[in-house]
Amino acid sequence: MRNEKPDRIPIRPFVAEFTAKYAGYTCQEVTHDYTKAFEAACRCAADFDWDAIVPNMVYVWTGLTQAIGLKYYGVPGMDVPVNTGFQYREPPEDNAYMKEDEYDLLAADPTGYLFNVWLPRVSKYVCPQGQPVTIQNNLSFLKGGMAMLSYFTAFGPQIQRLREESGTVSAIAGIFKAPFDILADKLRGYLGLTMDLFERPGQVRRACEALMPHLLHVALTGADPLKQVPIGFWMHRGCTPFINMKQFDNLYWPTLKPIIEEIWRHGHQVLFYAEGRWMAHLDSFLELPEGSIVFHVDQDDVFKVHKKIGHKFCISGGIPNYLLAYETPENVRKFCRKVIDEVAVDGGYIMDASAIMQNEIAIENMKALTEFTRDYGVY
Amino acid sequence: MTENTKNKPAPGICLSWEDVRKELPNIQGDEELFKRIWNDNEALAYMYIWQVLLSF
Repeated sequence: MRNEKPDRIPIRPFVAEFTAKYAGYTCQEVTHDYTKAFEAACRCAADFDWDAIVPNMVYVWTGLTQAIGLKYYGVPGMDVPVNTGFQYREPPEDNAYMKEDEYDLLAADPTGYLFNVWLPRVSKYVCPQGQPVTIQNNLSFLKGGMAMLSYFTAFGPQIQRLREESGTVSAIAGIFKAPFDILADKLRGYLGLTMDLFERPGQVRRACEALMPHLLHVALTGADPLKQVPIGFWMHRGCTPFINMKQFDNLYWPTLKPIIEEIWRHGHQVLFYAEGRWMAHLDSFLELPEGSIVFHVDQDDVFKVHKKIGHKFCISGGIPNYLLAYETPENVRKFCRKVIDEVAVDGGYIMDASAIMQNEIAIENMKALTEFTRDYGVY
Repeated sequence: MTENTKNKPAPGICLSWEDVRKELPNIQGDEELFKRIWNDNEALAYMYIWQVLLSF
């Protein structure tokens, strides 16, 4: 992760619903019963002998979201078929969870805004301010809080179990998202935000700036105290063509870069899980301190990314999911060989698929990726 | 919370101790202890809402 050369190429697959397929569970089971998700993750880690995984990449435990009454998930076995992964449903532009004239309210007190305005809109149980409370309102906070504590507390033993049973370590610790993505994902929605970028760019900027210290705080409080594994940064729609270069340069990056630098000052790496294509922005990422991030390649060309930033940052991923889902094991081995020869030749590479692996990934192809990397990826 | 909070709460806090302190009777013992435990519990409430936003 520090862009050095280990004894062999680490294998760190971000396996989500794939674990259910392998362990014989449905998507509903691993999404709604996290003990089954934990069990499936442990079984995969042990059988494949992976170096690191996310202790539960089917991270959204819908038992918790149901207790809170969150409206925006399509739950397997309820809203979507039993063997379809959970879905996030973005609200329509005219019914966003944050209204266009609420930027100043958000910027004035982000935490207060989330409790008082946002939560009543995203939860079917939480009452808006000024309305009589209900038992559903009270139980949402009680059950939601207790469930979250129960879930988060269970990660400690899960991580310990992975270490003891298979010598597998947790791939990440803590969570981070860019201020812009928070606005796009959960508040204004992507469509609303893109209109706001033209109609009220100053207010958008001030809201992003107001979110920055909070997102930094959340990232640091969940980070690995031993500073061995990076903080996971889930990158959604800050790249072209979701926004243009000017918007990236004037809004997205200036409200992101200082947070990454501050996290690095605290001694933590950040895993840039760069969903989509970020090639146009690699020059900006090169402004960051050497080794401060691990750059995960999704739809970009992993060979071009390596040439551009491989001298400064460790790279992970870049093995196309379609290859792992629909091609033959031989083709998987061929592509892995090319990546190992060209990207991992001097170290600084972590083997993984391009995107989070759901249940379309073929088991024999994961075996091919793992066994080939074990055999061929030795320095 | 917004209408009740005069001090803009720092990250990790939902209701600042300074605002809550005004509503409490005279403290005879160690105020720092009260403040520290208050803030520890505040951190849990803060974690709740921000984790709902980021993780769920």
